[in-house]
Amino acid sequence: MSKGARYFAGVDVGSVSVKAVLLSRRKLLASEVAASGGNYRETTQKVIDAVLARTGIAFDRLSGIIVTGLGGGSSPFSARQVSDITCNAMGSHVLFPSARTVIDIGGQFTKVARITPQGRVADFLMSEKCATGSGRFLQIIARILQVKLEDIGPLSMESEKPVEFSTNCAVFAESETVSRIAEGAKPRDILAGVHRAMASKVSMLVKRLKIEPDVVLTGGCGEDAGLVQAIGHALGIKIFVPREPRITAAFGAACLAEAEICDLHRTCQ
Amino acid sequence: MPFAGIDIGSTMTKVVIVGEKEDILSSVIGPTGAEHRHLAFQVVDAAVKKAGLVFESLDFVVATGYGRINVPFADKQITEITCHARGVRVLQPTVRTIIDIGGQDCKGIKLDRQGKVSNFVMNDKCAAGTGRFLEVIAEALGIELADMGELSLRAETYVKISNTCTVFAEHEVTSQLAEGAAIPEIVAGLHEAIAGRVVNMVRQLGIEKDVVVTGGGAKNIGLVRAIERKVGFPVILPPDPFLTGALGAALLGRDFFGRGMRRDHKRAMEGVTFFK
Repeated sequence: MSKGARYFAGVDVGSVSVKAVLLSRRKLLASEVAASGGNYRETTQKVIDAVLARTGIAFDRLSGIIVTGLGGGSSPFSARQVSDITCNAMGSHVLFPSARTVIDIGGQFTKVARITPQGRVADFLMSEKCATGSGRFLQIIARILQVKLEDIGPLSMESEKPVEFSTNCAVFAESETVSRIAEGAKPRDILAGVHRAMASKVSMLVKRLKIEPDVVLTGGCGEDAGLVQAIGHALGIKIFVPREPRITAAFGAACLAEAEICDLHRTCQ
Repeated sequence: MPFAGIDIGSTMTKVVIVGEKEDILSSVIGPTGAEHRHLAFQVVDAAVKKAGLVFESLDFVVATGYGRINVPFADKQITEITCHARGVRVLQPTVRTIIDIGGQDCKGIKLDRQGKVSNFVMNDKCAAGTGRFLEVIAEALGIELADMGELSLRAETYVKISNTCTVFAEHEVTSQLAEGAAIPEIVAGLHEAIAGRVVNMVRQLGIEKDVVVTGGGAKNIGLVRAIERKVGFPVILPPDPFLTGALGAALLGRDFFGRGMRRDHKRAMEGVTFFK
């Protein structure tokens, strides 16, 4: 901890998990992810306490905090609130300066943004009407198959014969999955089929916005390599994924907090 | 001279046996299950016996519904749109619009003055607006599907459900419950949401009096009342809303027979013995 260093935090309060990031000079110092649960306020406090404890920095040493995400309004401390699309765009830009399209697939919502070379949002589209393009679809099917979320990607990539679903509706696909299991379909083929259905839904959204390379995929679903592959295939383009895709928006929030206070090239040296 | 109509829906298999004078001799409703073919025969056999007949005495068999190709002993397969129209015509000839809410789809059917299908719309792509939506939410609320109608009538106001998607609505409902909303009001809100969706879809056809509601959805009085509020006048309910399609299928069989078509008993029996 250098003496004159300034520290910044970003918290992303999502529908499924709350993420906190602590950084200095755009360098990630600590991050924490916790299930959102029923009390966003409490969870927000918990994750910020965790990143501070891990780095040994006191709360009042923070030079700036930005909160984002659907539950960003219920912060226990005073902090500026910025839309998660803006934060996610900034996070993706810092990690991949060549990024021009950002696809964010979270627990409930899928968002696609076109971003400028400076990391600002030029245009965006959001799918919130239907669960098929969201992480919820995967969760539902994984629960039936009793496959852990982190095992979905590797397992699905072993598939040689993805199941062709007759429906795009997550609810109907749930009952179809049960019939397919009864017919002897393998879990890996069912998961690969779900990935295809999701990828077709997501690529429809991306194409409506007009795709521009490079394409970055963020959000918890970015951890599912099988899904990333399916989307890359559907779009016919290489997809870049941050090492920890889940915390991209929180990271971007902290970067924005820092940019508000410091001109990174001069002050805050 | 008995005629059988079999309607294999996504959830239920319905059979109606009619006589020469368009009179219903018997009807049976069974679950569809995974083994359509085997079950189809069982339900037909039960209906035939209930009417005091034997299977071999059937003069024509028509299958309809989404599982209609899985009835090897049927003489003809006809879409449920046509069958519904035919069934409704005998029940209530003044009907011009049919709203059918099934387990996994919903339809609007427009009839001309002769009771023939002039146009239709259908949603089978998405669970919103189908029986499945109510089934999922009933489970989340820990109540019985069959109780939802009566329960919602107790509500004085309703909770607005903003999500179209069943998956998201399920989540919304559990949060409403956590925030202290009363179950009857939530259920009333669900009925409003489904009625709005279905009626908007059927409006594409132009809603014309009389309107009949068929399918499992018609068994839900709360949903029926919500539909009436949306269309602005009372709707007609068949004596047994599940049976309209099967009844229509049986009557169409009788029509075919009247026009000289005959049942191929030998081929039909091969279809049966194979699955017996």
